[in-house]
Amino acid sequence: MKYMWKMRHFSHWFLLLCLLVIVNNTQAQSPQGKYDWLLPDYVKLQFAGGIGFLSAGVGYTFVHHRIDATFFYGYVPKGISIDDLHSVSLQFTAKLIRIRLSENYQLLPLNFGWFLHHTFGSEYWIKLPSHYPPEYYWWSPGRNAGVFNGAELKTKWLASKTPASGIAIYTRLGTRGLYLASKVGNSSIPITDIIELGFGIALYR
Amino acid sequence: MKTPFKIVLLFSTMFLISCEGLFDYSPYKIDFEGENKDVNATNLDRLLRTYLSDTITIAFTGDTHNYSDELGYFVDKVNTLPNIDFVIHVGDIADFGLPKQYLWGNSYLLNLEVPYLVTIGNHDLVGNGLEAYNLMFGDLDFSFVYQDIKFVFLNTNSLEFAYNGNVPNLDWLSQQLLPSEDFSRAVIVFHMPPGIGFDPALTEGFYQILSAHNNVIMAVHGHSHHFEVYYPTADSIPFVNVNGVEHRMMTSVKIYRDEIYVENEAF
Repeated sequence: MKYMWKMRHFSHWFLLLCLLVIVNNTQAQSPQGKYDWLLPDYVKLQFAGGIGFLSAGVGYTFVHHRIDATFFYGYVPKGISIDDLHSVSLQFTAKLIRIRLSENYQLLPLNFGWFLHHTFGSEYWIKLPSHYPPEYYWWSPGRNAGVFNGAELKTKWLASKTPASGIAIYTRLGTRGLYLASKVGNSSIPITDIIELGFGIALYR
Repeated sequence: MKTPFKIVLLFSTMFLISCEGLFDYSPYKIDFEGENKDVNATNLDRLLRTYLSDTITIAFTGDTHNYSDELGYFVDKVNTLPNIDFVIHVGDIADFGLPKQYLWGNSYLLNLEVPYLVTIGNHDLVGNGLEAYNLMFGDLDFSFVYQDIKFVFLNTNSLEFAYNGNVPNLDWLSQQLLPSEDFSRAVIVFHMPPGIGFDPALTEGFYQILSAHNNVIMAVHGHSHHFEVYYPTADSIPFVNVNGVEHRMMTSVKIYRDEIYVENEAF
């Protein structure tokens, strides 16, 4: 029940995502199946990057593959942290540069992104619990926003053998608002301490 | 193996090896080890093995929040002072309660040459900060006797526990202050003074317990960031409000027989 309640805060994210999908696909309905346009354009499996030890994502691309919207579920198992952590995140990526290396390889070296990350659990509240005076804390432990820059190598490795059009490996280097707020004015905190590095694979439809 | 695949493999391996410390799984991952575990117990052990003189000098700071550099300057200053017995941080070492901020805070204090103890603050308890504190520093309420003086560290961050009536734990406090052969005087250390954040239903009881046995010689706290000495109890126990670290003023307390000297020194 606790988690159900928390999910409510994500309803507007989902709504936004759905809206984008609809806007993107209304003109481009596939002839193969009536609901094919609902299928995600890619699935991702990511290691680290601040949003889980392992995260699984689905997403859609817009504007000629230049904008991505990805929804991740991330997990940190007990043992890596003293308690397991479940979280979801929504990220938007603008793929600014595309370099065609060859017939089968494309490099996207400048993928700027913005993300929202929510960890489940009553201690990671989004709205200040009612027992606090208004504006007692200015931030929400349950909703962190951050930015990152990524790079991706798109290949057609699996294209001939599977329905997938290609596979990509990617990396992302980011940070989040709360880390930046801690770092500002403190030269003694190493920049590497506020970096969230991650990498993953993406399978394109 | 195809050449592009080899190149990718080579680069990913190099990348993995060189970036190991940069991979971040969650802002709430807690995996403290070694010198970042049981810090208060380890330091108490050190303190209680030190040579006892007739004067106790304690250097206080607190309310680190996001003034990490300043905490470093405080440590540098204390290390130049020859007479400090130990250091007490009066809480809010982690502004957002993040495990990473706990690690940063402790990384400065680890450079202290004298033992140090860290009190729980309200900011330290946001998110999974309670688990972080428990693992890094230990129990929220604890006490020890040093040179005939009982030091009682009390979690007074009632609001973080939704004013549940058990914070501060007055039963425990009352027991700690029961006269015994082990000590003749007591010093109470906490983060949140009575006011917003301290359970209003427990304020009166708190003052009464402090005054019950006429053995509390001083209370020291943080949270308000400014230095002040005031006397809120019926029997005028001095309450010392410690400067926030951002003011770059340390508060030192010297206890010699029945005298208490409170001084501020810039760093």
